[in-house]
Amino acid sequence: MTMVTGEADTARQSRAVRSGLLRQMWISRTDYLYVLPAIVVMLIVIAYPIYYTVDLSFFKTPPGLQLKDKSFVGVDNYIAILTSDVFWRVTLNTVIWTLASTTIAFVLGFALALALHRDFFGRGMLRAIFIIPWVISAVAASYIWKWIYHSDFGIIGAMLVQMGLTDRPPNFIDSVGTVLPSLIVVNIWREFPFAMIMLMAGLQTVPEQLLRAAQVDGANTWQRFWHVTFPHLRGVSTVTILLLAVANFNSFIIPWIMTGGGPSNASHIWITHIYELAFGRQRWGVASAYSVLLFFILMTLGYFYVRALSSNERREPGA
Amino acid sequence: MTRLNFRSAVLRGAMVSAMAVSLTASPLLAAPPVDLTKWSPEYVRSIAGTEEFDTTEACGKVTPLDYKGRLTFWYQGVFEGDPDLLRQYYKDFFETFRKSYPNIQLEEQALTYNDLLDKFRTALLGNAAPMAVRLQILGGTEFAAKGYLEPLKPEDVGYSAEDFWPGAMKAVTWDGVTYGIPTNNETMALIWNADIFKRAGLDADKPPATWDDVVTYSKQIHDKLGIAGYGLVARKNAGNTPYRFMPQLWGFGGGIFDEADASPKLNEIRLNSDASKRALQASYDMYVRDKSVPVSALTNQQADNQPLFVAGQLGMMISHPSDYNVMKDLQKKATGADKDKAQSVIDNMRYGLIPTGPDGRRAVVFGGSNIHILKPEYVEGGKVDELAAKAIVCFWSSPEWSLKMAYAGSNPGNLNGFKTKWMKTRLDDIKFLDVTTSMLPYGIPFPALPQAPEIMNIIVPDMLQNALTGAMTVDQAAEDAAKKVKDLMGGGGL
Repeated sequence: MTMVTGEADTARQSRAVRSGLLRQMWISRTDYLYVLPAIVVMLIVIAYPIYYTVDLSFFKTPPGLQLKDKSFVGVDNYIAILTSDVFWRVTLNTVIWTLASTTIAFVLGFALALALHRDFFGRGMLRAIFIIPWVISAVAASYIWKWIYHSDFGIIGAMLVQMGLTDRPPNFIDSVGTVLPSLIVVNIWREFPFAMIMLMAGLQTVPEQLLRAAQVDGANTWQRFWHVTFPHLRGVSTVTILLLAVANFNSFIIPWIMTGGGPSNASHIWITHIYELAFGRQRWGVASAYSVLLFFILMTLGYFYVRALSSNERREPGA
Repeated sequence: MTRLNFRSAVLRGAMVSAMAVSLTASPLLAAPPVDLTKWSPEYVRSIAGTEEFDTTEACGKVTPLDYKGRLTFWYQGVFEGDPDLLRQYYKDFFETFRKSYPNIQLEEQALTYNDLLDKFRTALLGNAAPMAVRLQILGGTEFAAKGYLEPLKPEDVGYSAEDFWPGAMKAVTWDGVTYGIPTNNETMALIWNADIFKRAGLDADKPPATWDDVVTYSKQIHDKLGIAGYGLVARKNAGNTPYRFMPQLWGFGGGIFDEADASPKLNEIRLNSDASKRALQASYDMYVRDKSVPVSALTNQQADNQPLFVAGQLGMMISHPSDYNVMKDLQKKATGADKDKAQSVIDNMRYGLIPTGPDGRRAVVFGGSNIHILKPEYVEGGKVDELAAKAIVCFWSSPEWSLKMAYAGSNPGNLNGFKTKWMKTRLDDIKFLDVTTSMLPYGIPFPALPQAPEIMNIIVPDMLQNALTGAMTVDQAAEDAAKKVKDLMGGGGL
């Protein structure tokens, strides 16, 4: 077979790159040996489960049979999911849950980080208090909030009734209309300290000289924030938002403990629905297909996270 | 109504047909060692304390007392809604077992009713199950049908099949083979607060006779006193929900299939029948129309109704005799004026038979638990210490411990338990026990199908929630649930 000159050059370059890469690897073989145990562990605990989940997503697993009695159904599970009303409802819940929780937790955390960045009496104590929701167990917090929200004898309801603002305690988690917002409030309460801590750390990196220089140049508080502080926090903000978004997509404890996805599926998000399909209803194949879809979404977020981290690293030497 | 295919219907029907009959018809109420045809509170009293049993000696014949081995064991243990008395009996059981079998290394793990099935299924998938397990009555058939359990019959541990309720034996039988032994069997009763009834203008000593009366009474209590009338429970993935809704469904003449009929064939889905819809409508009327039940019913379980009841904020509920002890425990923990208020509720606590449907049909869930031994290939390490497993099976299903472990809330799975001296003491100690033993002949077991846990724990509560939240109409919710059952029985559905 005759190769045109351009193609031959490309093939030669490709071979050169490969041999160069192999040579580099050979030179660094000791380094690879050092990381080999970690790679093996990752292959076992991450790569194999991913492979197994993808594989299982192409099988039907009847609830009345053992998992080994599964039958190959191709992409039927994916089709069943994408054509199911419940899937779209749960997806909408997941999007609302993730966007609302991430945005509000970030904004709240940001505001508190700015407020607590200034030196004032009692700042340390306030920092400690605000961190409490983040450090206490999510399980314990969920049970506490369940009681706070309780539709018959919850604290909020009792207070509102006592103050004469309502005749009956409001229905927070037993109504399809209010359950998701109520859970989102709990999630924000749990997560805003994380955003606050991240951004407080970011604020430490804003050069004091620049802020003073801007002040000397006549910049007001808002201008100093917008033109000096905020650009310096762009990297840490991106990372914080991505981490919050990934955590929210993966949320399980709060919705599962407080409502189990109910009432009437109104608070099911992807993870709780996957759990119910797999462990409650033994639709392992369908649950795996759900998980694969979720995996791709999270990988996309992960890609942006890594890109954000890398751009931060690139920016820092010149910062 | 929806029809299943004939073959599967015949197969299922054959396996469960005798079950409901066993509890409701006389021929099966005739098994020794107690005469079930004479079953009444008086008869139960007459046989109590008539025989002596030595558990250690009896089980020593199954597994020598000096046997050296190791046993992993999971069991459905006590949970937040149980009385302290029961916690003590569980503690005593394991202490006595260890004392009797000092060379068996026992590694036991208690799991609550609502967690056990999920965790056990997960462990089975990883071949990491315990050697023996005590499961709720609903779970036995699922795991037997899937081939996880070793055949195990009462004769294997020194008892006879006739020592147990015939209906309970059917719940541990799949395809003609017995895979476990009943440990306890139970039926619940209606509990009401006589003082609340009086203040609401009702007859304090007369419970609602029918489910329609429950709806009326609940509304009257709510309208007059501003408190919840009936303790509706509609939480998903919680055993409490089917245990309270199924008597209502059966009472109205409905069912999942025809499990409440004298000769069930399970070839017909009846969740969307007119009778089933009337039962669902009754719940809808109480929750949505009258607002006479706790608003939190959709996230509540019985443990949440108990504080409401002891606080005098709930008029009626369905539960075990153990709730009387739970109320006493809660009263002890109360302080100040709450303590007196709780005592007043306890003094006014009454138990009665579960109401009937419009046609006079009375029904209750025939519940309980079974004990099983796993096949070695699904057990951690790939080995089952059969003798050690049989020792604990023998112990728990003995007349003594099947009674003591069900002391306040249930009844002994081993019928000989009714003849023990502990039963005699129990009849004096546990108030209202007569009512729940009287309910036993009205007991209907859940359909003994591998799909039963999903139907009872997910599909039925979903149906209730869909109707009660307004997400669907009563008709739509019933039709939706019937379709889900049909899909499930066909091996699929999302």
